[in-house]
Amino acid sequence: MSTARKYPPKVWVVLISITALLVAGCAGVTTPSTGRPMQGGVATFAEPANTTPNYIFPFMPAEYLSVITVSDFQYLMYRPLYWFGDNGQPVLNDKLSLANHPTFADDNRTVTVTLRDYAWSDNTKVTADGIVFWINMMKAEKKNWGAYVPGGIPDDIDSVTADSPNQVTFQLNKSYSAEWFVYNELSQITPLPHSWDRTVSGTSDCEHHVSDCTGVYNYLADQAKSLNSYATNPLWQVVDGPWRLKSFNADGNISFIPNPSYSGPNKPHLAQFNEAPFSDTAAEYNVLRSGDNSVQVGFLPPEDAPAKPDNQNVGHNPLEDNYTLDRWFSFAVNYFPLNNHNPTVGPIFQQQYFRQALESLVDQKSIIKAAVHGYGATTNGPVPTTPKNPYASDTTEPNPFTYDPARAQKLLAEHGWSTPRDDVGSCQRPGTGPDQCGPGVKAGAQLDFQLMYASGSPRVALSMQQLQSSATKVGIKLDLRGAPFNTVIGTAIPCDTGKPDCNWEMGNWGAGWVFSPDYYPTGELIFGTGAGSNTANFSDPKLDQLIAATQHSDSAAALRAYTQYGSETVPAIWEPNADYQETEIANNLKGITPQNPYLNITPEDWYYVQ
Amino acid sequence: MTGFITRRLLQALVVVLLVTVIVFILLHLLPGGPARAQLGPRATPVAIANFNHQMGYDRSLPIQYWNWLTQLATGNLGFSTKLNQSVVSLIGERLPKTLVLTLLSTVFALGVAIPLGMVQAVKRNHAADYTITVWAFIFYATPPFFLGVVLIVVFSVSLPILPAEAPQSSSLVVILSQPAGLVLPVLTLALLTIAQFSRYMRSSVIENLAEDYVRTARAKGAGERTVLINHVLRNSLIPIVTLLGLSLPAIFSGALITEAVFNFPGMGQLFWTAAQTQDYPIMLGITVLIGVATVIGSLLADLAYAALDPRVRFA
Amino acid sequence: MKSDFLANKLAAVGLGIILLFILFCYVGPLLYHTDQVHIDLSQATLPPSRAHPLGTNEVGYDQLGRLMAGGQSSLEVGIAAALLATVFGTVWGAISGYAGGVVDAAMMRVIDALLAVPALFLLLFLTSIARPTIGLLILVIALISWLGPARLVRGQALVLRTRDYVTSVRLMGGGPWRTVFRHIAPNAIGTVVVNATFQVADAILIVAALSFLGLGVPPPAANWGDMLSNGINYTYDGYWWLIFPPGVAIVAVVVAFNLIGDASRDAFDVRLRTR
Repeated sequence: MSTARKYPPKVWVVLISITALLVAGCAGVTTPSTGRPMQGGVATFAEPANTTPNYIFPFMPAEYLSVITVSDFQYLMYRPLYWFGDNGQPVLNDKLSLANHPTFADDNRTVTVTLRDYAWSDNTKVTADGIVFWINMMKAEKKNWGAYVPGGIPDDIDSVTADSPNQVTFQLNKSYSAEWFVYNELSQITPLPHSWDRTVSGTSDCEHHVSDCTGVYNYLADQAKSLNSYATNPLWQVVDGPWRLKSFNADGNISFIPNPSYSGPNKPHLAQFNEAPFSDTAAEYNVLRSGDNSVQVGFLPPEDAPAKPDNQNVGHNPLEDNYTLDRWFSFAVNYFPLNNHNPTVGPIFQQQYFRQALESLVDQKSIIKAAVHGYGATTNGPVPTTPKNPYASDTTEPNPFTYDPARAQKLLAEHGWSTPRDDVGSCQRPGTGPDQCGPGVKAGAQLDFQLMYASGSPRVALSMQQLQSSATKVGIKLDLRGAPFNTVIGTAIPCDTGKPDCNWEMGNWGAGWVFSPDYYPTGELIFGTGAGSNTANFSDPKLDQLIAATQHSDSAAALRAYTQYGSETVPAIWEPNADYQETEIANNLKGITPQNPYLNITPEDWYYVQ
Repeated sequence: MTGFITRRLLQALVVVLLVTVIVFILLHLLPGGPARAQLGPRATPVAIANFNHQMGYDRSLPIQYWNWLTQLATGNLGFSTKLNQSVVSLIGERLPKTLVLTLLSTVFALGVAIPLGMVQAVKRNHAADYTITVWAFIFYATPPFFLGVVLIVVFSVSLPILPAEAPQSSSLVVILSQPAGLVLPVLTLALLTIAQFSRYMRSSVIENLAEDYVRTARAKGAGERTVLINHVLRNSLIPIVTLLGLSLPAIFSGALITEAVFNFPGMGQLFWTAAQTQDYPIMLGITVLIGVATVIGSLLADLAYAALDPRVRFA
Repeated sequence: MKSDFLANKLAAVGLGIILLFILFCYVGPLLYHTDQVHIDLSQATLPPSRAHPLGTNEVGYDQLGRLMAGGQSSLEVGIAAALLATVFGTVWGAISGYAGGVVDAAMMRVIDALLAVPALFLLLFLTSIARPTIGLLILVIALISWLGPARLVRGQALVLRTRDYVTSVRLMGGGPWRTVFRHIAPNAIGTVVVNATFQVADAILIVAALSFLGLGVPPPAANWGDMLSNGINYTYDGYWWLIFPPGVAIVAVVVAFNLIGDASRDAFDVRLRTR
């Protein structure tokens, strides 16, 4: 613990609190009840285990695009055009967005965005040019934009025009669902300040000429490589968010101080906001338990949480003397893929009945109880049902293939498989008939599969053991193999049958898919035929059609139809979704809940009470 | 003497090069490849091709190795894309932690183990000897993560008198200014080292006590204390010094588990994470460092050996 | 004479512990039947009771039964890895020491190079290219452990090759292989056996470290290291029966092997300095 973190110089605190009081007074901030709010103070946030923010430039390649770098770091300083997550709900947050809700015209082919009055800390405004700057950079440097998907933004934008300093018009190449376009495409835009439009040799004009953008990108990316200058480089001090960097250490110890010219509605109450790194969850928990008050917002590893009674939202909090427990849900769907393109077992995985049988062997409720002590939710289909949201269909609650080994046995036996207990089942009736194994499955094909999973997480290991054990009841043999997370995601990849990298069978990295920055859960990236992140190599024309409908029609029925069919056809094996984090909040710190389901943090809302 | 050192250094160079070749080849045999491992599940083929091109991974192995070697010659250990830092600065950030942890625990361990080993040798086969022996074996046999967790539970949770976490700064001055945080990690590592060193010290002293020069000294009427301190101690330290020199490389990777338990990410942790994300530049950089440390360690061991034992002369 | 008696007593204690654990691990399951293949989440983390004398673990396996099953693989891996490392290291060291000259220099540089490659990396590499099984684990541990015995035996060989009887064998026309295997290796046997005892202890500890780093054998197989590092996850839940039984088992067996090694070192009087 650095002493600086615990005891900031008092004078500094007083000065800042006075300023903050004045600012807060002018804006007329209303704060929720419980205790008398105070201005000032320092709060420290525990970074998730073994990850630290390490990139400051919001336009970044895939290797930096992570929750910790975007949600816990960049967004504090550089605001995205549209903010997502409102009052714990996975929806657009109008209040925190830099622009009004866009208007759609011309059969959803023309989109107009009107900016609100936001300023950069160098006294310039957040302008339409700043948006065009970003789009132009996307066009010039697609390969370096981590969230780029072929055909997605900026490919689906024919032209972008700054009509006035605060209005931009996009011409789209097709008609798209308005909801989808805002949530999954405009969501990727972060307006950039004019002062960043430069190269090493001086000012440039990426705001108006795409051809200038590569030079600008190279300059800014190069500046972003020098971590130790993040807090001192004047470039990065130009912010439109509520915070700016006070100090940045590459090891993950970071301090922010309020940006006095932040023009949003929620001005910081704290005088300083810190982030602290931890090498693993046990190390973090040890610090919380020691009660030395060096961390105000940390987390309780679920395996250390006393079991949560079914009828309560949270169970007993072992740290209740100092902290309040709050569950943080992530808008994510947890699954693991079966490689449909595997030359040997792929044909088996292509059979819907097989996937349904395997899904019937996953005892989600028991896993949640045993592995995360009740802090999780079942996954029922391709759209998350927790936290409560407007998208999930009621028809997927509960999961149609909830735990039932007898159903699994029946499905396999009905389709011509032997299902010997504690032995390996095989295909007895090959063929394409309704009571046969299905197309591509040979006589004598065996139910013996290699399943690689991310070791290091007790939750994943436990759920894999559960599946392995219940599979033995119906003649399915799963050979488990633990491997580092990165090895699993490097192995379970979209691939072509016959290529050497396509021999993997099942892979579980333990995290499924987090809908960010594709905030509208339409699934074209994960289950669409040939999609870049369709790790299962899954292909179903009917599902493709339903996905296309969610992208191009504004009807709420489209997403429901996709959700329902997705949970029936089981494109990947649904796994229980553990909470993102069991957040422990210092008892005298308020304004943190409800936590954002897209995992953004807003320490500008936090305040101490007396 | 100079000839000896030159020859040893040349030999060392060969060994280090051999090591880098081994590691380089093994790295490229790892399944998956760095692009997937680092870009994550969202990586598109375009992004992967772009990454491989920027890192030079789309070139042939010998060319990659040559490029890396020429960079190394200029003192450039490369850049970790994943961590967005140069390997040199990463090592600079982690090395102080590892050094503090291992040096403090080694010094402490020696301070305890040397007298302990002597007591054991002098009181050979008495109750004291056996008691220490059994305890030494118990600590040696306790996996460090088990020991670390037990210490945390006892000293930071049950009777909270010591922090569960090592100091978090990467500055030497700050780390050393918070000694309370260093107690448990240093102790965890030291208990294991004490167990080892006291065993070596014991057998070394026993051997020396049987040597002729001890009998001569005693015959000349030297007191038992004088014999022990002036004669036996000096000679008994020789194997310990050799052992120390040889364990220098362990400084860079050995403390991994202790670092993990006490949230003190040093070189071990850096190497471990890099291995999992297939971060080639970091792994190669640390390997070179360890190779050099190994060589220097054994060279120092030989030199110290010569300094302590007048019978040894360099051929 | 009192002291010799004590020394033997410690060795006897060590031997007793090992015999006890062998009985426990291999005969125990014949008397105490548990299912160590099918999990039962409804029975997870039960405290010790009449039905489960040591409680159940996080997936509902009976902890006492698992301690037996886990002990089997821990002992087997430890002993097999030590044997493999010792045999290979002995042959390598004997040849190197006997041959001398360029051959010796080359063979020793290989050892130097391998010593300088971080063991962690070798472990990670080997476990990530193949599915970790008991066999692979043995191989992996042997691979990083044979360097010690190789250096040790080489040292002995360097001494032995100058001895009269080796010289006379050579003069009588004995081939180099014959010399190495018939004369040098057997004469280094004391050193080797003592070292092997310590190797077993170390191998069991390496398995535990590998498990902590997530590189142990995959379930439903078990070993004490996996059990202990899993148990550590539940340190603050009060599930002491997940932590202490495997922890104590590891410590006891490793101590036992060390006691035996130590006593036999004195017996062989081989003046071992390094392990």
